[in-house]
Amino acid sequence: MKSIIKLSLLLLVLLPVACKKSYLEKSDPTGINTDLFYKDQKQVDQAVNGAYGTLQGIAGNQWLFNELPTDNTTIDFNPGDRGQAPRLESFEYFTWNSGTPNINDMYIAHYNAIYNVNNTLLRMQKAVLADSLRPGYEGELKFMRAYLYFELVQYFGDVILITKPLDLPADAWTYLRESQDKVYTQIINDLKDAAAGLPAQYPAAGKGRATKGAALSLLGKVYLTRKQYPECVAALDQVLTLGYNLVTDYADAFDPAKKNGPESVFEIQYKGEDETGEWSSFIYTFAPRLSKGAVTGWPQSNPGGWNIPTNDLIAAYEAGDKRKAAAVGLDFKSPITGDVVPYIKKYAHTHATYGRTDDNWPVLRYADVLLMLAEAINEQGAPTGEAYGYLNSVRNRAGLGDVSGLTQQSFRDTIAHERRVELAFENWRWFDLKRTMTPAQLTAFLNNYAAKEKASPTVSRQGVPYSNTDYIFQDFKYVYPLPSAEILLNTKLTQNKDY
Amino acid sequence: MKNYLPMALPCCIWKRSDHLASRSLVFPILFLIIIFSSTAGYAQTRAVRGLVRDENGAGLQGASILVKGLSKGVNSGADGRFIIELPGNTDSLIITNIGYETQKVAVQAGSTPEIWMKKGINTLNDVVVIGYGSQRKRDVTGSVATIDLSATKDVPVANPTRLLVGQVPGVVAKQNTGRPGGEFNVTIRGLGSLGAGSQPLYVVDGFPIGNSIGQNLNPNDIENISILKDAVSTAIYGARGSNGVVLITTKNAKLGQSSLNVVSNYGVQNIPSGRRVKMLNGPDFAQFRKDIFMDKIRYFEGREPSVDEVPLDFRYPEQTKRTTNWFESILHNNAPFQNHNITLAQGNGNFHSLLSAGYQRQEGILRGTSFDNYSVRANIDGKANNFITVGLKVNGSFSTNHLANGTEGRGALVGSTLIMDPRDPIYNDDGSFHSYIGGHDGSFGFANPVQSLKEVKISQQNGQLLSNGFVEISFLRNFKFKTAASAFLNYATYKQFIPSTIAGQNAPPPRDAFESDTTAIVRNYSVDQLLTYSNNFGEHRVNVLAGYTAQNELTRGLKATGSQYPNDLTPFLGSAALKTAGSSEYEWSTTAFFGRINYAYGEKYLLSGTFRREGSSRFGEKVRYGNFPAFSAGWRVLNESFMPKIQWLTDLKLRGSWGITGNNNIGNYRSLAFMSSNNYVLGNNFAPGEVVGSLANPLLGWERSKQVDIGIDIAAFQDKLSFTAEYYDKITSDMLLPIQIPSISGFTSYLANVGKVKNTGVEFAARYKTRVNSVGLWANANVSINRNKILEIRGTNDQILNGEFYSGYNISRVGRPIGMLYGYKVLGIFNTQDQIDKAPKQDGAIPGVYQYLDYDKSGTISYDTKDMVEIGNPWPKFTYGFTVGGDYRNFDFSVLLNGAYGYDIYRNIESSTMNMDGVFNVLEASKQRWRSASNPGNGKYATTNTWKWERESNTRYVYSGSHMWVKNVSVGYTLAKKNVVFKSLRLYASADNLFLITKYPGANPDVDNRGGINPGNDEEAYPLTRTLTFGANFTF
Repeated sequence: MKSIIKLSLLLLVLLPVACKKSYLEKSDPTGINTDLFYKDQKQVDQAVNGAYGTLQGIAGNQWLFNELPTDNTTIDFNPGDRGQAPRLESFEYFTWNSGTPNINDMYIAHYNAIYNVNNTLLRMQKAVLADSLRPGYEGELKFMRAYLYFELVQYFGDVILITKPLDLPADAWTYLRESQDKVYTQIINDLKDAAAGLPAQYPAAGKGRATKGAALSLLGKVYLTRKQYPECVAALDQVLTLGYNLVTDYADAFDPAKKNGPESVFEIQYKGEDETGEWSSFIYTFAPRLSKGAVTGWPQSNPGGWNIPTNDLIAAYEAGDKRKAAAVGLDFKSPITGDVVPYIKKYAHTHATYGRTDDNWPVLRYADVLLMLAEAINEQGAPTGEAYGYLNSVRNRAGLGDVSGLTQQSFRDTIAHERRVELAFENWRWFDLKRTMTPAQLTAFLNNYAAKEKASPTVSRQGVPYSNTDYIFQDFKYVYPLPSAEILLNTKLTQNKDY
Repeated sequence: MKNYLPMALPCCIWKRSDHLASRSLVFPILFLIIIFSSTAGYAQTRAVRGLVRDENGAGLQGASILVKGLSKGVNSGADGRFIIELPGNTDSLIITNIGYETQKVAVQAGSTPEIWMKKGINTLNDVVVIGYGSQRKRDVTGSVATIDLSATKDVPVANPTRLLVGQVPGVVAKQNTGRPGGEFNVTIRGLGSLGAGSQPLYVVDGFPIGNSIGQNLNPNDIENISILKDAVSTAIYGARGSNGVVLITTKNAKLGQSSLNVVSNYGVQNIPSGRRVKMLNGPDFAQFRKDIFMDKIRYFEGREPSVDEVPLDFRYPEQTKRTTNWFESILHNNAPFQNHNITLAQGNGNFHSLLSAGYQRQEGILRGTSFDNYSVRANIDGKANNFITVGLKVNGSFSTNHLANGTEGRGALVGSTLIMDPRDPIYNDDGSFHSYIGGHDGSFGFANPVQSLKEVKISQQNGQLLSNGFVEISFLRNFKFKTAASAFLNYATYKQFIPSTIAGQNAPPPRDAFESDTTAIVRNYSVDQLLTYSNNFGEHRVNVLAGYTAQNELTRGLKATGSQYPNDLTPFLGSAALKTAGSSEYEWSTTAFFGRINYAYGEKYLLSGTFRREGSSRFGEKVRYGNFPAFSAGWRVLNESFMPKIQWLTDLKLRGSWGITGNNNIGNYRSLAFMSSNNYVLGNNFAPGEVVGSLANPLLGWERSKQVDIGIDIAAFQDKLSFTAEYYDKITSDMLLPIQIPSISGFTSYLANVGKVKNTGVEFAARYKTRVNSVGLWANANVSINRNKILEIRGTNDQILNGEFYSGYNISRVGRPIGMLYGYKVLGIFNTQDQIDKAPKQDGAIPGVYQYLDYDKSGTISYDTKDMVEIGNPWPKFTYGFTVGGDYRNFDFSVLLNGAYGYDIYRNIESSTMNMDGVFNVLEASKQRWRSASNPGNGKYATTNTWKWERESNTRYVYSGSHMWVKNVSVGYTLAKKNVVFKSLRLYASADNLFLITKYPGANPDVDNRGGINPGNDEEAYPLTRTLTFGANFTF
């Protein structure tokens, strides 16, 4: 009994302890308060890495918007799962709308990445950081911001332009869509700054960061999209001097064992065999649905069957084109129908751990730069020897002979074809189609492809008829709709026409 | 007076104690002596010495003895004896004690009455437990309800929250799921918050343990449950009081009573056939698939298909070899339920103690699932000396849940059994599991649910220690100082192993085997210092409480996962080729000063005021402290001299209260923003990266509720009938709400204090108890009517829309109730193309799909939310509970009815069970679907030709949820006669969830898969069982 009394006296003594002010000051010991971050070089470096990290999530889903709606890829139709009809499948069948969740997710992911870029650019100004390091970090961040806005403006047309973090949450309602011209001005300024601030190359430990070459190549692509051909050529000519080369074997450009090789201008970095979660898993999305381990090498796999190369694309490879075997796999037969189900081979590499591939995602390759340069030269009048040189160097590497004696139009067509097969499944097809076609042309082109695919699907639909709304492309689908959630939230925001 | 009193009184006493007379002849003689001596000794005030006994004859301590007409009184001592001064002209005493019927005894000076108290239901004179103390029920001016535990003594209870069902108005305890040992979903006076939690605060023996009671507290150990509803009752719990408070007091021995009690019950659980959903069988499903195939060709190609075109798998439905009722296949019929308790109470001497041990086991109606709990308790308190009282309560428990791999929701185990292909068998011919169900000829692929229940191992364990200790020192006659410490320790482990043999959704096995292991340790303590002063000055009674409390909770967790197992035989992390691990820690603290003054004048006027100033670590630096005041007043009208004497009326009290309470149930560290890891790879090496995790809000503060409560309490017919009616109005403001923000901010939401919700309601409760000769009858009825309305959300954008286009929405809009069901309004089914052409444009509509209302009159039914409207109200017009019981000789019975009337449920599972594209199995009712203009079915179910315009959130899925449960019927037989072996023996039988009377087509109208502000969504959950139990209760 006495012990209980003693215990209570002890508690009385403890009372003042609980009165200390710090008793109520609790912060999450597992996280760093944002107010205390961005203070020194190490933290700025981590913030820049964090911004790069956001690109991984974006790159992993780009095929949905950039390849699936085009003539490059289709789906391994699953008659037993109609749940994706309003989601992933809507991009194959042109049935997306403002409520399609994937568009919303993509929009949010881009602005979240932009926020981290903007926030780091602002907060690093007060960081203790050598002045010599600032242009590099700023260049990397601005490259990323330009890349993100370049995507947004091509997806949606006019978009909201925000280049600093909000002062007050309420300010988010004051931002409205800006004209494409204004957005492009920002993109070009950012890329110019980046090109000026970034080094041509990094020591081995820095491989994967944005370089001067990456900024200039992207700038060239922006100018090409804007049909500013002389500026495009000027930017890309500088890239020629930076030491890039085409690798001898096309497949090496995608081989994880040869990451960031001489042809690589910018790629999103991943690392398989890593406990830190930085692996990629593209092939698990792309391998045929019933292929189990036939493509991935791991029998416990249940791949997605998305982004399946179309018969149309497979037929587009010229005879003898070495790129076909490197890009497309034709060795898997469906256990149900016995038909071949093609798949993307570029990202299929053996990996030691189930589900964790080592494949990087190529964004800018030197082959792309050469083809852009050839295109920009041709658009300024006619194909020159220089233009032929760039085009043929890409063709020769693929085991194909030179082309010559083309008109401006046929050179243009050849470039378009060459880009399709050279850059297949690298998420440029949708932008290339949009760059080279008017909305009406794109509508005719895609409906023509759709009619072919509908008549003879690449992958059997096992007797399930198409829905009456499938495969109807209309002019207004030239741009994606803004997510309906954003418009509901900010009623002053305008939707794209006809959505 | 003097003439008849001496004559009358002994008669009265003899009558009360006639069964005693045989025991002793001393008493009559003693009486005579005392009567003579007292009449001689006292003229104006005279002393009466008496003895209060309980039903077993033991002295009853602490009974209140009052002279009728005066507020003055004494309490009986430890042996039940008392001495009271009897002023002139008084002739009777009123004796009250908690849990006993009030006795009125005629006395005269010098008499030595013996009063035998009888156990009774709660009456006005009981003492009720309130925050940090107790109060006579007649003095209560707030809204405090006590659960009558005697009404549920025979009910098979696996979780204490079951005891709250249907017992008091304003408290809704819903069994959303039938998971063994599962906690019920409890709300008090409506949903008071849009963003923070709406669960009440549970306080066990004075220790606020949180917003969940958990699974480990043994219901058999509970002595009393009080529910605090209005502000004056809950404001003393400050920032945690706004959703109401459930006060649980555990048992201790009654003074002077020692007993050994053994309770054992055993029963079986089943799902009545009426509550099983009827799906197509194998041949019918094949026929359905064939019809779909042929109807599509008929519509899209305009021709009659030949049988040879039909895929072989369902070309000849009548030849379908197998049929499996998947729902039946997962059931563990006659699942046992058992509950055993042994309680030793020792109430003699200065210290009394109660030791109890309990074991509960509930096997689940789903194969392989179960809940069991071992619990031991020691409650000891008593007097160290004349001025020091000490007490200690220690409760250790260990519970184990064996769980199924996800039971709640559309794609989860229970829902999936409705929709998986019925043509597949459970076992292959060789006896092995047929592990992939469906996934052929266009049907969705699922894991075999029987195999999942058998081979997926999920277990959860909770080891818990709950203890309280206190020392109370009485000093200066009227002061008491109490210091109390409480601690709660919980060690939880969770382990899940999914072997490679289990299929995924549309993913045949093998899979990569997966293990997840979690452990968490919680340490929660509080230290309270309470100073009370109570005194009576003539007609004035004052009770003052001042206190200080500090509470802290720390949770540490460790989580690890493993994958890539070489085989399924060693389901431990050590065998996994790949492992991940993570650890977590979070903490909160709260400190508060609080006080309460209760004042009563002359049994007529009652005043009460409370105040709490509280600080919480969960809030932003600038708004860390909050003040929570409350006041109340009561008027016992009947005691006014101007009131005419109404013979049958015992008490009439009017009362009202006002106060402010808070809600801090938002999780930890929410006012702060943290960096979160988002790593990258540079130079082909790991490169650590950080991004901002959320938007900070340093101004994040309390959610406040202002509540007004007005009530009337009536007692009549010698307390046989009591009636309470109450009105309340609670406005919750500064709600802790995630505000959606345009995503250009970098985020989609941030947490702020915005919005207002109002809950208004009336509550009625009545109790009646009577006895006519050997027949006793009692009843307890309550009705609650609650209306909630959103007054404000945020400036420009006044709605919260949650849900999905294909699975039901809840919308919360200003001026409307929280979480209304939202979707398209179905006008009918399009029968012909002509009708489609004439209607507002529905892109892609074909005959046989629903015609929707063009709400915005744009001429087009847009394929988003623009044309959606409110399509149902998930809030009942009223809820009710009715308990009736009685006894005759040795038999007794009780029946509990409860229910809700006038509300809607969105039966979202039907967007799968009536998904007409043939991927899933469908309801038997699908035979009534639209097939052609000439064969349009019953007008309710759409065509199979398309998925568009028939699966969107719409009125087709909305059903009335009005229902009445015959929740429990119990009968018992008590052998009261003392016997050499035991003092008493009671045998009883109980049927729980006996009948459900409803038109609702689902199995459980209380289901609420999404909860909170997204109510009324039925996606199937763990099914509820009807439980039949038999029990015996021995007292030795």
